[in-house]
Amino acid sequence: MTVTIQVPPPLRSRCGGASELSLSAPSVRAALEQLERNHPALYSGICDETGKVRRHVNLFVNKHHVRDREGLDTALAPGDVITILPAVSGG
Amino acid sequence: MTAKAKEAKGRKGAAATPAPAAGRPEIPARYSRQILFEEIGSEGQARLMASKAVLVGCGALGTVQASFLVRAGVGTLRIIDRDFVEESNLQRQILFDEEDVRALLPKAVAAEKKLRATNSLVRVEGVVEDLNASTVARLLDGFDLILDATDNFDARFLLNDYAVKTGTPWIYGACVGSYGLTFPILPGETACLRCVFESAPPPGLSPTCDTAGVLGPIVGIVASLQAAEALKILTGRRERVTRRMAVMDVWEGRLDLIDQPPRDPACPCCFRREFSYLEGTLGSDTATMCGRNAVQIRRRDGLRLDLDEVASRLGPLGATEKNRFLVRADIDQYRLTVFADGRAIISGTQDPAVAKSIYSRYVGT
Repeated sequence: MTVTIQVPPPLRSRCGGASELSLSAPSVRAALEQLERNHPALYSGICDETGKVRRHVNLFVNKHHVRDREGLDTALAPGDVITILPAVSGG
Repeated sequence: MTAKAKEAKGRKGAAATPAPAAGRPEIPARYSRQILFEEIGSEGQARLMASKAVLVGCGALGTVQASFLVRAGVGTLRIIDRDFVEESNLQRQILFDEEDVRALLPKAVAAEKKLRATNSLVRVEGVVEDLNASTVARLLDGFDLILDATDNFDARFLLNDYAVKTGTPWIYGACVGSYGLTFPILPGETACLRCVFESAPPPGLSPTCDTAGVLGPIVGIVASLQAAEALKILTGRRERVTRRMAVMDVWEGRLDLIDQPPRDPACPCCFRREFSYLEGTLGSDTATMCGRNAVQIRRRDGLRLDLDEVASRLGPLGATEKNRFLVRADIDQYRLTVFADGRAIISGTQDPAVAKSIYSRYVGT
């Protein structure tokens, strides 16, 4: 169940500069739990101390917002792509 | 179907922009290449020439959007900016030059001068003011479209509140480094900014252009997409406005189009119609510190800062000290003292607008 997580540039310093991470997880929640173990700094940029997705971050699976699917329980299939979209303030 | 009938059919949903005066509109020859573009044509150009847009912020994204809209022939463009032209702006803020830096010109003034020389048919009005809860209604009233070229979320959430409350379309755009994103917001039709980003990133959690840099080309592409959506709205082609978010990285050569999420039924702004930024109950608050040549900025959202993270970002920019209570950094002529509760004292100015600008740049919102 290998899926790809696309890491946006504002968060890459939190995972050694990687633009993509591959991991095996059956759901978005499980993918985040893996990030918490393997990339805690990246995880803390996505989720707050209570484990909720931060209010300025959006998660998409295959370019569809998880809010329109099953939220963190959205099931993942091999080859799925999770896109992280944080708010950007520069201009 | 004739071309004219097709054009008329395509005009459905154009009620938000003013209709041109009766009879065949007089279109100046300078717009000939634009009216040849079938989806605009003479009628769309006439609508554009009768329209009024307001641009909030005239830095990187603002100078590009303003250039395109004024060259395209928008009727009126008001440009609101609280800042002055600095040398470090010239790498990406395409309306400004070295003379503007030497003359210490406010950006809104320098932009107005350049744009009037570019197209004397457009009413360009530069306004040197800070957009905040007490000025927003006066500064944004009566415009068909709001263009976002701000550099912080307090201002954007304020714009969003105003736009949703008044039903005015607006176009969010932002960039940092080589990365950027933009999407249009049509109140009542699309998600609003707070449906997508319910709150600002906690200070320190999001890089800013002053900590992570920014490239001219990402500014160009984000602002160009904003200007294109603006042209659709102002020429009466609202139905052609994209419903997707464009996310780009010019260093990687990537452009992703992501479905804009639908409106969030839990959205405090567009569903519950709580306009907390307009009412001044959310966002930052400033107070000039008497006799100290300093301004305190206080946040109302209760967010906590990671002081280690703030110190590591500010360290490369100037002498930085940290203890368990605060981070202190000397950057240019300013001293920033940032506390864990997000409060900051900006020394070296008594001007709240300058202090807010420094805070946005180096702490982030």
